[in-house]
Amino acid sequence: MISVRGLRKHYQVHKRPPGLKAALRSLVHRSYTSVKAVDGISFDIKPGERVGFLGPNGAGKTTTLKVLAGLLHPSEGEVTVDGHVPKVREEAFLKKIMLVMGQKQQLLWDLPAAETFELNRAIYDVPRLQYKQTLDELVSLLELEDLIQKPVRQLSLGERMKCELAAALIHRPRVLFLDEPTIGLDVSMQVTMRNFIKAYNETTGATLILTSHYMDDVAALCPRVIVIDKGQLSYDGSLDALVQRVRPEKRVVLRLARPVDAAVLASLGRVVSHEAGTAVLQVQQDAVSATVGQALSSLPVTDLTVENAPLEEVMSELFQEGKARRAEAARETVSA
Amino acid sequence: MKLKRYLRLLGVQLKASGLLALQYRADFLAEGLSSVAWTFTALAPLFVVFGDRPSLEGWSFHESLLVVGWFTLLQGVLEGAISPSLTGVVEHIRKGTLDFVLLKPADAQFLVSTQRFLPWRAMNVLSGIGLFTYAFVSLGRWPSFPGLLASLVLLGTSVLLLYSLWILVVSAAFFVVKVDNLTYLFTSIFDAARWPSSVFRGALAMVFTFVIPLALMTTFPALAMLGRLPWTWLVGAVAGSVVFAWVARRVWLLSIRHYTSASS
Repeated sequence: MISVRGLRKHYQVHKRPPGLKAALRSLVHRSYTSVKAVDGISFDIKPGERVGFLGPNGAGKTTTLKVLAGLLHPSEGEVTVDGHVPKVREEAFLKKIMLVMGQKQQLLWDLPAAETFELNRAIYDVPRLQYKQTLDELVSLLELEDLIQKPVRQLSLGERMKCELAAALIHRPRVLFLDEPTIGLDVSMQVTMRNFIKAYNETTGATLILTSHYMDDVAALCPRVIVIDKGQLSYDGSLDALVQRVRPEKRVVLRLARPVDAAVLASLGRVVSHEAGTAVLQVQQDAVSATVGQALSSLPVTDLTVENAPLEEVMSELFQEGKARRAEAARETVSA
Repeated sequence: MKLKRYLRLLGVQLKASGLLALQYRADFLAEGLSSVAWTFTALAPLFVVFGDRPSLEGWSFHESLLVVGWFTLLQGVLEGAISPSLTGVVEHIRKGTLDFVLLKPADAQFLVSTQRFLPWRAMNVLSGIGLFTYAFVSLGRWPSFPGLLASLVLLGTSVLLLYSLWILVVSAAFFVVKVDNLTYLFTSIFDAARWPSSVFRGALAMVFTFVIPLALMTTFPALAMLGRLPWTWLVGAVAGSVVFAWVARRVWLLSIRHYTSASS
C-alpha cells in the first residue's frame, strides 16, 4: 500500500543569533543552514495495517507524514501510496487519503460543523445517499447529535476534535494519516477517539499511520511501530519486540498486607519503588518465575502482577541511546 | 463535466460565504453601512481636482466620472471577490493551514480563490453603474452598442488582470512567508487607477501600462464607452491579460512546490 525508499527532506532555514544588531544585519545578509528533517528512511506498509510513528520532538515524523500526504515534495527518494506518487497530487490519490492534525483544524470556525461536512461532500464528490449513510454512522459512533449544529467556536476542544475527525472521514479515505489526534484531550475523550479510530480501521480495512506522544495511543492502536530519530529510522517492528530489546527486564508489582523491610525486597531484585503497601521490583526475564515463587513464599503478598516497563520509560531510554550513539559518532569524526 | 463540477463547487463556496456574512448580525449591518460610505468618499478627490478647471489632460469632469465609475466597480470586485480569499491564503501559509486546501481533490488555486466573498461589496459595483448612468446623462448622450460591448470585454480582462496580480502577490508569500505589507502596497497602488491614465507621465506611465496595468483596467473601458478606444488597444488588452493570467498560473504552480507547511 505504501512504499518509501531512501526518503530525504532537507530544508534551508534562516538562522541568526539573538539581539537587535543581529536582526538588523540579517536584513541585509542572511545566512542559511540546511536542516535534515528526514534523512534517508525506507519502509513498506501493507493494506489495512496500523502503524505508529514514534520519535522525540523534531524527529521527522510529521515531515514524513506530510510527504506521504503529498503536501511536501521530498528532496530525494521514492514514495508511492496505493500506486500514486503523492507529490503529483492527482485527484484520484487525494480522494483516497486524509490527514488529521490534532494541532490544526479544517472546520470553518464561525459556522456549524455541518457546513464543513457539506463543503467536503461537494469537494470529494460524495453521492448524496452515501454521504447521508456515512454521516449518520459518524454522528452515532462519535455522539455528535447535539454538536454539529453549533458554531465550531462554541465547542470544547474534545468536541471539536470529534467533529474534525468526522469531517476527515466524510469521503471514507482508504489511507488515514493521524498526526497527534488526541493532543490536549482528557483521558476519557482519548479513549473514545482511540476506540473510534480502531473501529474505523477494522470495519473499512483502511490503512492507518499515527504519530502521538501519548504512548497509550500507540499501545492501544499500533501493533507495529516505526521509530524515527533525527530523521533516521532506528526501529521498525512490533511494539512488544521493541520493549523486549530496549528493556528486557520485567517488573514484578507486589501488593503487601503489611510493611516489609527494604533489605528483604532488595534481595529479590532491583527495587524500583517501595511505598506503603506496594513494591515494584525489576528482575531479569529468566528470573521472573523464581522471584515470583520466592516472593509468594516469603512475603505477605495479597496481589502480584508481572508487567513490562512503562512505554514512556522504554522510549526515553531508546532516545537516550540514540543521542549517546550520535555523540560517540561525532567524537570519532573529530578525532579522525 | 469538469466545468460543471467547479461551478457547483463555486456555488457551495458562495453559500458558505453568505452564511458567514449572515452569522453575525451587527457585523452584517456595519459592513453594509461602511460599503455605502466608502463609495461616496471615493468621489471626493474628483471634486477637489475639478473644482476650478474644466478639463484634465483631455478629460472633462463627466468623462472622468466614467473612469471613477470603473474604479469603483473594480474596487467592489477586488474587495468583494478577490482580496478576501487571497488575504486568507497568506494567513494559511503562515500558520500552515494551507495543508487542508492542498489535501483536497480540487484545484488548489480555485479553492483558495473562492474561499471567501464579501457580499456587501456588490454595493460598489452598483455605485459604479450609477456613476456611468449619471455621467452619460450629464454628457447628454449614450454609449454606442459596440462601445458598450468592448467595455464589457474589458471588464473581463480587468478582473483577470487584478486577479492575476493578486495571485502573484500571494505566490510571493510561499517564499517570504509574511506579505501583509506587499498587499497594502498593492491596494495603495490600485488607488492610482481612479485617475485617467493620461495624467501619469514618463516612467510612471510605463509602469502603470505594462508592469501594473492600471491604465488597462479603468481608462481603457472608459475610453471604450466613449467610443475613443482604438480596436488595436482592445486586442492588446485581451492578449495582455491572457498572458498575464498564464504567467500568474505558472508562478502559482511553481510556488506551491515551495510550500513548507508549519511544524506542529
